[in-house]
Amino acid sequence: MARKKADFLPPPQDLQRRAVNFTKGYRLKLEPAELRRLEEVVEKATDAFTAEVAERLRQLRQTIADVAGGNDEPQAMRIIRALSLDIKGMGGTFRYPLLSAYAKSLNDFAVQVDRPSAVQTDILAAHIDAMYVVMAERITGVGGRRERDLLEALQTAVEKHMPRHG
Amino acid sequence: MSDIPMADHERIDFSRVSFLVVEPNRLMGQMVRDVLMMLDATSIERARDLASATAILRLGRTDVLITEWALSVNGGGGTGMDIVDWVRNDPASPNRMMPILMMTANSEEEYVCRARDCGVSEFVAKPYTVNGFYTRLAAAIARPRQFVRIDDYFGPDRRRRREGHYDGPERREPADLR
Repeated sequence: MARKKADFLPPPQDLQRRAVNFTKGYRLKLEPAELRRLEEVVEKATDAFTAEVAERLRQLRQTIADVAGGNDEPQAMRIIRALSLDIKGMGGTFRYPLLSAYAKSLNDFAVQVDRPSAVQTDILAAHIDAMYVVMAERITGVGGRRERDLLEALQTAVEKHMPRHG
Repeated sequence: MSDIPMADHERIDFSRVSFLVVEPNRLMGQMVRDVLMMLDATSIERARDLASATAILRLGRTDVLITEWALSVNGGGGTGMDIVDWVRNDPASPNRMMPILMMTANSEEEYVCRARDCGVSEFVAKPYTVNGFYTRLAAAIARPRQFVRIDDYFGPDRRRRREGHYDGPERREPADLR
């Protein structure tokens, strides 16, 4: 099918005219001191972050128990996907990139599984255990050798037991 | 004359910008709000779902939309992409050219492309750094891109690279139209 020719419209300038100036506000590239102040906002929220993750991990454990008990597995998997995606998004922002990496591995697996087998349920649970350890030990950064080995092992298990579609 | 580029002098006065932050995660929404307040923004509204977000947008007082992809299911379903589609294409949208930042932990290329093709101005992959967030926010406000209307797309020009003078055929048209 033939495409119409594109119409180009000049960039909107109302907001730019109102907010961009040469005297007041923040430069397009932040000064180090300004950036530090913004980072302090994140640091101040770290306690709240810990509590939020703890609550999500508790919900994940409960949901895994539901899965193991055969209770509405597709719904349980939807919850696992949402919670793992949420944790993935929060972890690195609060200096817990290893937590994000474990959550990403869990989410990558969960989006492919609707009715997990016993082995697949164990893999889901192992991810949650790993995230508990990160929070209990307060492992910021990417972790040490042991944590990276565990991540690799989880990813290998995911790859091995990923359902094959098509 | 100073040899410092103009961009080094430019500043953004965030107190003159109205924001809508759509984020179902209470903590992440609060953090975006706190960062904006630290930047001197004073007009920050929040929503957690599609229905409440469009209700605020209809009022026409939002300058910049910052939305998460995955929204609360309590607002009748829908995603951040539905909000973007509403802003860009709905006749009731008061500002179809509004800068939109999409924040999501769905950071794989597939999602970035889908967001771009829906008309998002800037994509912020979670987890993000404050500096990464600020850089995209500043670009959306101070460096708005031209808009394009073609077929079923209305949104910022998706081509970011400027390759200077181009002598070749019109690349947006298929060969049978040339």
